[in-house]
Amino acid sequence: MATPYYIPETSVPLPPPDAEVINTACDYCIVACGYKVYRWPVAGGRVGGARADENAFGEDFPVYPLGSWVAPNQHNIVLHNGQPHHVVIIPDKDARHVNVNGDSSIRGGAIAKKAYNPQSPTRDRLTQPLLRMHGLLMPVPWDFALDIAAEVGRHVIDHHGANAYGVKTYSYQYMENTYAITKYALRHVRTANFTFHDTPSDVTSTPGFRDAGFDNFGAAYEDWRDAETLLVCGTDPYETKTILFTQWMMPGIQAGQKAIFMVPRRTAGVAYAEKNGGLWLDVQPGTDLLVVNAMARIIVENGWQDQAWIDEWVNNRWESSSGFGQGTRNTPWQWRTTWGMFQTSGFEDWREWLLGQPEFELANAAEISQVDPEKIRTAAEWMARPRDDGSRPKTSVMIEKGFYWSNNTGNTQAISALGIIVGAGGRPGQMISRAGGHQRGGLRGGSYPRNHSPEKLPGRRRRAIDTDRYLISGHTRLAHVIGNTWIQAMCGSQGLANKFDELVTQNPHQVRSFDRDEIVDTLKRRVDSGGTVVWNQDIYLVNPIGSRYADIVFPAATWGEETFTRANGERRVRVYNKFYDPPGDARPDWWIIAQLAQRMGYSGFDWETSADVIHEGSRYSRGSRKDFHAVTLVAQREGKTLHEKLDEYGTDGIQAPVIMRADGTLEETLRLHDVSRVLPPEGPVGANRFPKTLTHFKSQTGKCNIQKSPWSLFSDYWEWMRPRDDELWCTSGRINERWQSGFDDRRRPYIVQRWPENWVEIHPDDAAERGIENGDYVMIYSDRVPNQVGTIIGVEPSDFQFSSLLENGHIELSEAAITAVAMVTPAIKRGVLYTDFLHTDSPGNALAGRVVDWISGNYNYKMGVARVRKIGESVYKRTYRSMSFAPRDIA
Amino acid sequence: MSDDSQRPKAGSGAAHPCLVSRREFLLGAGVATATVMVTLNPGTPMAQEVPAVVATYPRKLIGRLSDLVVDQPLDFAYPDEGIYSESFVVKLGRSAGGGIGPEQDVVAFNYTCTHQGGPMQGTYQSAHKALGPCPLHLSTYDLTRHGILISGQAYQSLPQVLLELEGDDIYAVGIFGLIYGRFDNLQG
Repeated sequence: MATPYYIPETSVPLPPPDAEVINTACDYCIVACGYKVYRWPVAGGRVGGARADENAFGEDFPVYPLGSWVAPNQHNIVLHNGQPHHVVIIPDKDARHVNVNGDSSIRGGAIAKKAYNPQSPTRDRLTQPLLRMHGLLMPVPWDFALDIAAEVGRHVIDHHGANAYGVKTYSYQYMENTYAITKYALRHVRTANFTFHDTPSDVTSTPGFRDAGFDNFGAAYEDWRDAETLLVCGTDPYETKTILFTQWMMPGIQAGQKAIFMVPRRTAGVAYAEKNGGLWLDVQPGTDLLVVNAMARIIVENGWQDQAWIDEWVNNRWESSSGFGQGTRNTPWQWRTTWGMFQTSGFEDWREWLLGQPEFELANAAEISQVDPEKIRTAAEWMARPRDDGSRPKTSVMIEKGFYWSNNTGNTQAISALGIIVGAGGRPGQMISRAGGHQRGGLRGGSYPRNHSPEKLPGRRRRAIDTDRYLISGHTRLAHVIGNTWIQAMCGSQGLANKFDELVTQNPHQVRSFDRDEIVDTLKRRVDSGGTVVWNQDIYLVNPIGSRYADIVFPAATWGEETFTRANGERRVRVYNKFYDPPGDARPDWWIIAQLAQRMGYSGFDWETSADVIHEGSRYSRGSRKDFHAVTLVAQREGKTLHEKLDEYGTDGIQAPVIMRADGTLEETLRLHDVSRVLPPEGPVGANRFPKTLTHFKSQTGKCNIQKSPWSLFSDYWEWMRPRDDELWCTSGRINERWQSGFDDRRRPYIVQRWPENWVEIHPDDAAERGIENGDYVMIYSDRVPNQVGTIIGVEPSDFQFSSLLENGHIELSEAAITAVAMVTPAIKRGVLYTDFLHTDSPGNALAGRVVDWISGNYNYKMGVARVRKIGESVYKRTYRSMSFAPRDIA
Repeated sequence: MSDDSQRPKAGSGAAHPCLVSRREFLLGAGVATATVMVTLNPGTPMAQEVPAVVATYPRKLIGRLSDLVVDQPLDFAYPDEGIYSESFVVKLGRSAGGGIGPEQDVVAFNYTCTHQGGPMQGTYQSAHKALGPCPLHLSTYDLTRHGILISGQAYQSLPQVLLELEGDDIYAVGIFGLIYGRFDNLQG
């Protein structure tokens, strides 16, 4: 891969005093910092000056630390109404929430470089619809591409059924788009062959939270600051959601918060916590459940649990079985799968179970997890041991993907129970939530047609289609891929790519005609012959889903090119204003979907603006954590669009769920499950809803279900996966500077200079045994990547357990290999490799087992094993321009 | 401004593939310049006026090579005495991008974090040849690799002060990258 030579600039144009100022928020991580766009015309050659009265910030330059400085990477030139304009995009220095006073990460900080500018590496943005003819993607007009797509799409549904129409879409890229996409796919096409970017099936990410009654995003950011003990599982927020760390956790740690990180990798945030009295639990991949339950065991053995909280907020025997027929058996995970394996009849029952499992004894948990038992004991003490005066530490629990994508069901069940007994869940500084990955931009325009899914688990219910397995089985005749890579983002990705090759490019029916009808006939013949056609909507051509497989590519308009709405990780809903023209003929995804839907014969897609879409979708947000419908009602009352109304809240936005009081004013929600909140006595007015989660938990009674978390449901997979001979664990994740993986980051010269290629962290001992040094190219490879095959109907309770799948021939082993530049560091646990979670050229997921968590249907992406060997030296080993091999945990 | 600063010095060339000459460094860095017009191909039909690049950084004596002790930064102000001019020169004891001296291990950088202006005086990390973490938001910089960000939030590398060796004298002659707080290195 080429490494563009990055030349830093030494001056930057300042916005003049009359520059327009436009509100937006960062496009990237869950935190969604508030930003301001300063825009002024290039024509005339005017720029601001160094004196406060000469620039738009009203500040004298040089500015003070934390001031309105403009780095060269925060400036760009874009087209606005067809005319070149300067834009300077810096964090909102007046922000009162989220990125208070205008803090920013390297990612959002340089977001100006995201904007299309043909003089920059963004020049390869998709600007025209493309149709593959004679093997090449050629520009065609919108009508030409849309007509063909609609006719072939109609044919697929009419002749092969709705499930042959597969939709793989982002879940988050703004509510206007996700509403249109789900309305199309779920309400109109009604396909069960539907899922989001980060999962093979349309299932929840945190089954244990769901069963316990915890919302994923209940916490307010101030709770992460105000906790006295904070357990962080499977993430370092400094690396992945920086401002959550720098603006909220860091002040907490400075004020004495005891931060405990359970991750196999020590990064800057972990190092900072340790330096300030915190703790690093360097867990072996996949063994978190044992550590969590060992802590829980220490707590109950010592009677440190928050008994008053448990007595008031945990379902007892009767409550556990009350409610909608079956009590907790009615929770989605329990009901679908494993009768009785999780449910308890209350705290005492759970405690008895916990103490009856020898694997949770401290010595055993410590041995398998490879975490020092004294650290586990200390962590338990910090979380729950009452002080001498009887008062309890305020404890919060944060989880993220390293944790819930290692043993999805087991880990999330275990952590929910631990959270409950330490009193986390519904009070200031005492919360249990996800930290989040992407922002929350989903708005459901239809419900998943579960009854149309052919996959049935033991028990009562069907499970959402595993879209990867369904495609591999040859059932997906049309793959409509929207804003994601599909292949590299999924486990066992190289096997998936091979299948796409077979179904798409190796099928004899390839377009070799310029005639519209012949093109349609050819694609129909491919579909009818068992092959697959691919439609792809994206902002860049993605390899391989777009560049190799797509028959039709629709160019999408994105952040800054259309006005959108989205929420962040503390449910703060904001408007993301359009500030420049989309490149070429690119259009927002809602528009593309609407055009396609109308041609397919579906009604209700005649929107003219993104404001029309969000107004229609608004009522479907009611009752959800993003409920902003009351804001829409106020906007309508005032004769405004929702976007205009949200813009009045600036970068603060409004924290959902938003409820309307009887006098018509709005009330925000600081945290969910807020047990001390008093709602307006008159109850919901008008179209308003007061969801249970405002003041209670999301369960059959409003109290928490405390659930079992058996290790045995996962241990057979873990034992089979664990490294043999000279194998190492091969896990993956994000790295701070290169969070965004596939598209923007690799088009930023500075980021490319820092991270030019895929990389892998390896412990010095593991490296020495293999003769690997910093800067060496290594091959990371495996000949035993497990792949689950076949769409089956489970009958016996254990039919989907890994050992049963293996025994019954539903697991095939495949080979996989990726290359990377070695980074030798003791910051990664011995025996573990850590690589980028989604480098499109060297996808780490290729080595992760393509076996879904058999209870939930999610992949355990973090569970891979591989061998590693040196294949040569990279240029970075002996030159100084690019990369760095210095440790990332200098504190 | 000395004309001297435009002329590559013997010994400042690229013995190491990455140790660019000062001229390449300056021109490549696009430092603030004064522009004069010169004529190419004079007297021919292809004659044209093009801008010539004249660097405007001062040439400043900042120390002596023989005085430098490995891992002990020596402070100086550059390119002026104004705010955020505080810089340091250090002998890393390990060859480095842009390094001068027989070991090519003498480098100089500005002290101010290019994220939000945090002061990083006193954060030199001898074990890692790094600067930081910045007290504000924990950014760290690799001094062997042109001040590239190791881990952190800055939007660019730490500004590297271009050095030139004349006998035992070390001169600062330019800056690679914009100093925090300024909109132009030379205009404040």
